[in-house]
Amino acid sequence: MRRLLSLALFVPLFCFAGTAIAADAKESVEADASTRQVAITSSFTGTEILVFGAVENSVQPSAGAGTYDVVVVAEGTPAPVVVRRKSRVGGLWINTASMRFASLPSYYAIASTRPIDEIADAAVLDANAIGFEHVRMVPASTGGTAPTDADEVAGFKKALIRLKEKERLFIKSDFGVAFIGRSLFRATVALPPNVPVGPLAARIYLFRDGKLLGQYKSKVTLEREGVERYIHDAAQTRPLLYGLVTVFLAITAGLAAAFAFPRSV
Amino acid sequence: MTLYLPIAEMSVSVAVFLALGAAVGFISGLFGIGGGFLLTPLLTFLGVPPAVAVATCNVHVAASSVSGAVVHYRRKNIDVKMALVMLSAGLVGTSLGVEVVRLLRKAGLFEFTVSLAYVTFLGVVGTLTLIEGINAWRHAQTVGVHSPRKSGRHNWMDGLPFKMRFVRSKLYISMVPPMVIGMFVGFVSAIMGIGGGFIFIPAMIYILRMPTSVVVGTSLFQIVFVAAFATVLHAWQNKTVDVVLAAILLVGGVIGAQFGTSAGEKLRSDHMRILLGMLVLIVAARMGYDLVAPPADLYSLAPLRGS
Repeated sequence: MRRLLSLALFVPLFCFAGTAIAADAKESVEADASTRQVAITSSFTGTEILVFGAVENSVQPSAGAGTYDVVVVAEGTPAPVVVRRKSRVGGLWINTASMRFASLPSYYAIASTRPIDEIADAAVLDANAIGFEHVRMVPASTGGTAPTDADEVAGFKKALIRLKEKERLFIKSDFGVAFIGRSLFRATVALPPNVPVGPLAARIYLFRDGKLLGQYKSKVTLEREGVERYIHDAAQTRPLLYGLVTVFLAITAGLAAAFAFPRSV
Repeated sequence: MTLYLPIAEMSVSVAVFLALGAAVGFISGLFGIGGGFLLTPLLTFLGVPPAVAVATCNVHVAASSVSGAVVHYRRKNIDVKMALVMLSAGLVGTSLGVEVVRLLRKAGLFEFTVSLAYVTFLGVVGTLTLIEGINAWRHAQTVGVHSPRKSGRHNWMDGLPFKMRFVRSKLYISMVPPMVIGMFVGFVSAIMGIGGGFIFIPAMIYILRMPTSVVVGTSLFQIVFVAAFATVLHAWQNKTVDVVLAAILLVGGVIGAQFGTSAGEKLRSDHMRILLGMLVLIVAARMGYDLVAPPADLYSLAPLRGS
């Protein structure tokens, strides 16, 4: 069922700062994308994006040498969420505590050549929002019961990631990036059927010995097409008309069924 | 075959949702209830976002109610005058309910209030309906015939002003009780996202003492308007009505409702009450269990729409 879209990224790895690059290697990457647009039509059941890249001037002796580490991150539009926690009050389980986050990626997929905590230290991962523990979560300043205890906040954050993973909107693949030559690597990023429609920011990082050598940013747009787009636009821009048409449809269907059936069914 | 839903933003199996629509439509036609109280939790269980489930259910409820109401209309089982009196107050109640929902959401108490309202109303109505049904059934067993409605019986309602003659229901009563009931049901249905049939029916039978034969048709007739009103409000204010999901559900629903209505004709009223009472109690027990049992996950996630 899953269509495989190949998104080939031949990424120019420009050196961002002189400090980020190893002195003896001028690695760079060329990039291109075969498609940057995923159409959400009425037959959409999720899909996979193939991410391709090549390290130029690779000093890696073979595909399996493991000289470089590559991390591929795809992030959906940030959106506000609220996490609630139940506790027992008079025998009933009620949401008593909650924490609001002003912004959390609606979708976050990560693939890497090996577990990310082996690739680089937490400070680098935090700075680049690589990995579930390092995703940019912005707690809202107001709203919720606003827990202040550090343990409690950590509990909420952990629960948030766990719940997102359960919805398949946070996806991790520890060995999802594979070198298929001295310089060529590939990774697939799964887009589940419930992926939030909107632009995805794709980021590719190149590491060597825990140092970030470079990164490349690309964009994949998810767009509704055909009937899906028409219906969604109508619901958003002309909601009253949309509601009336829906009711008309319902009444017509009900009447049609009533008159189509003989009186003595 | 699967289809991607434009508003719910998910891919669903058409066969599963057709069958679900048909099953709920059958029950809807059988008992003269909208079926929203069954469909909403089932849709949520299948992964439809709760806000979309609540809003879209109304479309299904409107369609299957029309389908069932036409059958009752042909059999002259609808007291249109009574329905209109109730509706006039019902729409006021719905508007009040929408405002209360807004306040509850602001206070973060909405979900809990809805669960508690479901358990309370379903529990009380289910128990009353079941007890009454069993009593009627026992009575029928011993006497062998249905006891006719005691006409000319006096109660507290006879003292109220604005009396009106309801020919179809063979009643001459004050307009006040039907209006109060209509307003209350309109209010509750806005909060719970349902048509309100399971409250209408017992209220019409036990408070207004309408003949059982016209109760189901009259209830369905009203629900058409309540559900249509709610659909437009939800689409307009919340943009959560999924027309594709609604279309799948209502194709199954209108067909199911036809069979349900015919099956209901063959069912004795005491049996019908026992079955409806049991069904309502099962749903109430299921929801009550969720409130009392330790949840699998203490944490839950909710998107913040428009904030």
